[in-house]
Amino acid sequence: MTRVIICRCEDVTLADVEHAVAKGYRDIEEVKRYTGFGTGPCQGKECVALVALALARATGTPPADIEPFTSRPPLTPTPLKFFVNDPSAEEEP
Amino acid sequence: MDRRIYSGANVPRGPAITIEHEGESLRAYEGEPLAVALHAAGVVVLGRSIKYHRPRGAFCLAGHCGACLMRVGDVPNLRACQLPCTDGLATQGQNAFPTTDLDVLAATDWLFPGGLDHHTLMTGSKVMNRVMQRVVRKLSGLGKLPARPAEAFPAVVERDVDVVVVGGGPAGLAAARAAAEAGRRTLLLDEQDELGGSLLDTPGLGRDEAARRAREVAAAGVDVSTQTTLVAFFPEEDVLAAVTPAGLLRVVARRYVYATGAHDVNALFVDNDRPGILAARAVARLLLRHGVAPGDAVAIAGDAPTAEPLAGALAAAGIAFERCARPERARGRKQVEALDVDGARLACDVVAVAEMPAPASEAPRTHGVHVELRPAGGGFAVVVDGNGRTSVPGVYACGDVTGYVGPAAAAAQGAAAGANAARTL
Amino acid sequence: MTPIPERAELCVVGGGVIGLAVAYNCARRGLRDVVVLDKSYLAAGASGRNGGGVRQQWSTELNVRLMRESVALCKDFATELGVNVWFRQGGYLFLSRFPRETERLEKNVRLQNRLGVPTEMLTPAEAREIVPELDAGGFHAACYNSTDGVLFPWPFLWGYAQGAAKLGVQIFTHTAVDAIDVVDGGGFVVRTPRGALRARRVLNASGAWSPEVARLVGVHLPDYPIRHEICSSEPLKPFLKPMVSVLGSGLYFSQSMRGEIVGGVTLRDHHPTLAMGSRLRFLATYARQVTRIMPILGDIKILRAWAGPYDITEDGNPIVGEVEARPGFFLCCGFMGHGFMMAPVIGRLYAELLTGGPKHEIFERWTLERFSRPGGIEREDFIIG
Repeated sequence: MTRVIICRCEDVTLADVEHAVAKGYRDIEEVKRYTGFGTGPCQGKECVALVALALARATGTPPADIEPFTSRPPLTPTPLKFFVNDPSAEEEP
Repeated sequence: MDRRIYSGANVPRGPAITIEHEGESLRAYEGEPLAVALHAAGVVVLGRSIKYHRPRGAFCLAGHCGACLMRVGDVPNLRACQLPCTDGLATQGQNAFPTTDLDVLAATDWLFPGGLDHHTLMTGSKVMNRVMQRVVRKLSGLGKLPARPAEAFPAVVERDVDVVVVGGGPAGLAAARAAAEAGRRTLLLDEQDELGGSLLDTPGLGRDEAARRAREVAAAGVDVSTQTTLVAFFPEEDVLAAVTPAGLLRVVARRYVYATGAHDVNALFVDNDRPGILAARAVARLLLRHGVAPGDAVAIAGDAPTAEPLAGALAAAGIAFERCARPERARGRKQVEALDVDGARLACDVVAVAEMPAPASEAPRTHGVHVELRPAGGGFAVVVDGNGRTSVPGVYACGDVTGYVGPAAAAAQGAAAGANAARTL
Repeated sequence: MTPIPERAELCVVGGGVIGLAVAYNCARRGLRDVVVLDKSYLAAGASGRNGGGVRQQWSTELNVRLMRESVALCKDFATELGVNVWFRQGGYLFLSRFPRETERLEKNVRLQNRLGVPTEMLTPAEAREIVPELDAGGFHAACYNSTDGVLFPWPFLWGYAQGAAKLGVQIFTHTAVDAIDVVDGGGFVVRTPRGALRARRVLNASGAWSPEVARLVGVHLPDYPIRHEICSSEPLKPFLKPMVSVLGSGLYFSQSMRGEIVGGVTLRDHHPTLAMGSRLRFLATYARQVTRIMPILGDIKILRAWAGPYDITEDGNPIVGEVEARPGFFLCCGFMGHGFMMAPVIGRLYAELLTGGPKHEIFERWTLERFSRPGGIEREDFIIG
């Protein structure tokens, strides 16, 4: 099937983003939650700017007024084993 | 098939080895990234996508996008472009049945031509809704659970420095050198196994120039940690955490300089995710850093600053290519075979997408720095003044993360930001 | 900026799951002129930041009964509201390390069984039959109820919001309440940057922010916000059936319908804060504890961590009903991080109260005034995850 993929990790299409905007989800955080874009292994590295620009077009918002979604740790998918010996880890009570 | 064309000093290769991809033995070289070795052997479909089971292949070859996840050995969801080959390495495409090439679940893609709004799918009947949910649960996820527990829990290394520079491309190398030459204890972190960043993929600069600048950095007394990926800066704990092959790295620093560069982004056109469609810089990387011919007929789509150097490199290597505008559509069911562009059909087996790369601002954003969406700058650029200062005291940024500037300007910005970070201590 | 209406019968402050559930149910019962205001986007607060657990394993009869109904409502949510919430009844498995914890579980299981919830006590070996990857060493016992489950929080909000909007409820996001004037002779004027609204009744459903909102009408609330951190892994093929939780540490994790392992743990600091940053200490604590009981997860990659506010009360129960000293001002807050799973039933009961229907006992027992009444408190001690 033919699709314009905007978020490769989660198979989110440009049409999905436009559909979310049409449903009234206009904030980038809402569009993230509704479409799932930016929630996969790249955490938006490839797509957040593309979606933000698509959102600017679809909502008529000036790009400078659009903020990215919150940057959350870890910035790269990180195996749990790397955190286990961190000195700040709390033991079970 | 063996697409490797260069060998010798410019493309250092380890000993020839054998890897097993889905039961087939392929030749590779020790240390060569898995995605590169597979591309060299003609394997470009590396797995299937999470929802529609669309074929997936490498895109950025830089460890940023999520296009090349594979099961390697016992571990799922590993980026094939960041995984060095070793003898006997066993690899498998994911989310495909029975094989990556012939995935019957790709029917999902055809069942929902208008897209799949999973929010409203089959909400009309209780019975159908329950059946649907059971099917969705069965099909969910990407990789399978690891076959065995982790062998060991890595150690933790703590570092205390004056200046930490994140990113070892032209901006970061210059920043680290300037800070160290000003007498500051400086630590340079880079995620790749060799310093240089975009220098490595720039014709005329390349590995020799990267090595020269890396020697200057070492001579200035900079402490270097390669293969180091960031976890985040944690403001409440005032620690920058990263992961190295040796374990978790906790860095306490008085100044932070972000020279994280820019991520490659795709262009928006129909079936823009077909394997064989790569970022222009990734195509350059295949050729210049790994000595692998990207394909027999390359289409360079778009006119971002990454297009021109690639065209020069392909011409020098004698590889057929054509430049074109942003396409309307890609053709080819499993991998790209042609582009529809400007009303014509352009046959190609590799597309190099030359879109403006997006500033890699997610790391400085964990400090809370101000960013701005700049269409001409590729995305959310960190806002800096002429001294490289961001909106957060003690945090600096330089190079493409402030909006795409290219290697020459990045080095100048880096030198200024590094010197200023050092001077304010 | 779209102005808000000049008048409303009911103004709900807070567009989280509680406020939207009440608004939807009120509209269903025929209440007109309901307006919901939220200072951010829908799902910005605790409602959009939780792990989606829905359980009937509680320690007081009232909570068990309420949650039985919530589970029944969750099962039919997708077909009633037209939005999938991916409610999966894989059960809840609680693990205890010490005999005194096991005694607590046994006491609760007796209560739950009496009320028709089929929870059973298990040996550690039996727990491993449900979760084969579990390292059951060091555990004393477990309890399991197969009818508990997990769902996706966000669509739950959208379902209520869309359902409410269809019935005429007006929802305004990015609309902060700056002031609430008390009008002599009854009613309120709610002031926002989009204009002022005259409301006969106001419902404070603003969760962690409820003390701030109550202060606008001179009401002091005893609840306070604390931060709870949580994280999500890469997507994996389905292998984990239940939500797993360790009683002593508050560790919990489950597998979502997208395949991610979503989990959290209780950190030792409990100071009031509305901060929602993530900490390395959380990732470290979660990693150490979860790999101890599930060693297979050591190579599993975390994709992102985030935090949300728990709205804490002294006795572990919410604060509901009309404030005696401020007629027309209603409360629905203090849900201890469990507002999500309680919202379906609370929404129904609250709508009955506001539309002249029956007054449920929660409006006698969980009032603001109970905190100042001798013997007014019955403690809920099964506050986990």
